[in-house]
Amino acid sequence: MTTTEELITEVLKGFSVQVKRERRVFLTIPRNDLIKTMNILSSELNIQHLSTITARDTGNDIEILYHFLLKGVVITIRTTCPKNDPTVDSIVSVFPSAILYERELHDILGIVPNGHPDLRRLVLPDEWVGGYPLRKDWKQPAEQEAEE
Amino acid sequence: MGRVKLPIGPQHPALKEPENFTITLDGERVVDVDIRIGYTHRGIEKLMESRTYTQNLYLVERICGICSYAHVENFTQNVEEILGIQIPKRAEYIRTLFLELERLHSHFLWLGVAGHEIGFDTLFMYTWQDREVVQDLLEMISGNRVNYAMNAIGGVRRDVSVEHQKKVLQGMDYLEKRAEYYKEVAINEKTILARAENVGILKTKDALKFSAVGPTARASGITVDIRKDDPYASYLDTPFDVITTNTNDVLGRVVVRVLEIFESIKIIRYLMAHLPVGEIVTKAPRKVPEGESISHTEAPRGEDFHYLRSNGTEKPERYKVRTPTLANLPALAEMLKGTYLADVPIIVAAIDPCMGCMDRVLLLKGNEKPGELVDGERLRRYSIKWFAERGWKA
Repeated sequence: MTTTEELITEVLKGFSVQVKRERRVFLTIPRNDLIKTMNILSSELNIQHLSTITARDTGNDIEILYHFLLKGVVITIRTTCPKNDPTVDSIVSVFPSAILYERELHDILGIVPNGHPDLRRLVLPDEWVGGYPLRKDWKQPAEQEAEE
Repeated sequence: MGRVKLPIGPQHPALKEPENFTITLDGERVVDVDIRIGYTHRGIEKLMESRTYTQNLYLVERICGICSYAHVENFTQNVEEILGIQIPKRAEYIRTLFLELERLHSHFLWLGVAGHEIGFDTLFMYTWQDREVVQDLLEMISGNRVNYAMNAIGGVRRDVSVEHQKKVLQGMDYLEKRAEYYKEVAINEKTILARAENVGILKTKDALKFSAVGPTARASGITVDIRKDDPYASYLDTPFDVITTNTNDVLGRVVVRVLEIFESIKIIRYLMAHLPVGEIVTKAPRKVPEGESISHTEAPRGEDFHYLRSNGTEKPERYKVRTPTLANLPALAEMLKGTYLADVPIIVAAIDPCMGCMDRVLLLKGNEKPGELVDGERLRRYSIKWFAERGWKA
């Protein structure tokens, strides 16, 4: 382990930290602890770079992964929200660079980041009514007869 | 006159790709910018879930037409990590060669675009001519100019011969001379200085706040380079410097990229001199066990981030791509505020935006039927009809 990883493990003791391999650290938290954790990352570890946010449909839940970069170490914060209540606190107040990533997830997976300042569509068309394409139960809207 | 909202795009003669900037102007000053993307969303992440890893190897390469290889490299690294495969040393070196050749052609291309945006088309003509030298080298080894199809899961598909190495080195000698000239031009040419100095300011604290990446971040004094910070391919063995400037302006972004050309040439010379002997590919199984992996590379435009979740089958469970242009958009909005309208094109060009790459996913057709999806065959027929209606032959 590099010193950066040791530092991360030390600051985040009390959390379930998993060092998957060199420079890949994962941390699982309940969604209610999200802002608290983000504040620790920002103020105690002085993390400034949010690489992106990934989310995926796991069946009953949606798993959300926040990927940060600190001196070459990718730190991933994992949390979940139920599909029937896909809400989670927005982290924009702590990490302003989350603004577009949260908008994208709102578009394609229907995650509602509470407190997000601007939830207009980002990647899908404004008039899109076809649901959330990245969900596993999403069906392509019925094909129309090809116009000849 | 009060404030005016000026929509630029999605289709606009000044833009090279579809995107939309709604610029609020007070006189000639930009007071606010709203950026809307998604006009080239192609549904690639969704599509990947229904394709095998081998098929995805080719799909991923088509995310971008410039930094195609950075995406393939990330994809293969992710799959190899979950499979637990160590690729041969020679393959690592060949991959690094392609990563750097790609950076070279991308930076030469960008320098031309930047010249074009400030009305310096001679620079555009010169750099694009020089870029052909790189394209020829890529074609010589891989058979292709853009989508090289070099990677296999487990290594590379084509070897680099002694004859290739000789030609690559000759190409580097030529490009180095040209880069010396561009360095001279970038630092002394009055047209460039007048249009680039103190334009499009991004302070270090804002670059950090908005998580800017690549040359955009490095021109704001941030020492970040995934090749150094989280080494992949053969970057751990290969000596090179991370180029930064602290002028925080468009000129800084020009200087960083021009100097990075020299670093890429240095890396390529090292690789050619130290190319290990041996195999170029390790056999990989078709099915990938359950797992997850993160891979990020320093693409020409900055950190290109990929996440793979596998489920034990031949197809991925989830694949996520975050391209450097998306990461740089919040910083771009910041740079544009307070500038003159006339400087907007060069400031936008200075992050080296790649919209096609950023939007990825979903085949969407017009606005006749909201949210309607169109398959390739229908799209083809639609295009024939579209042209026929206008009396053209498709």
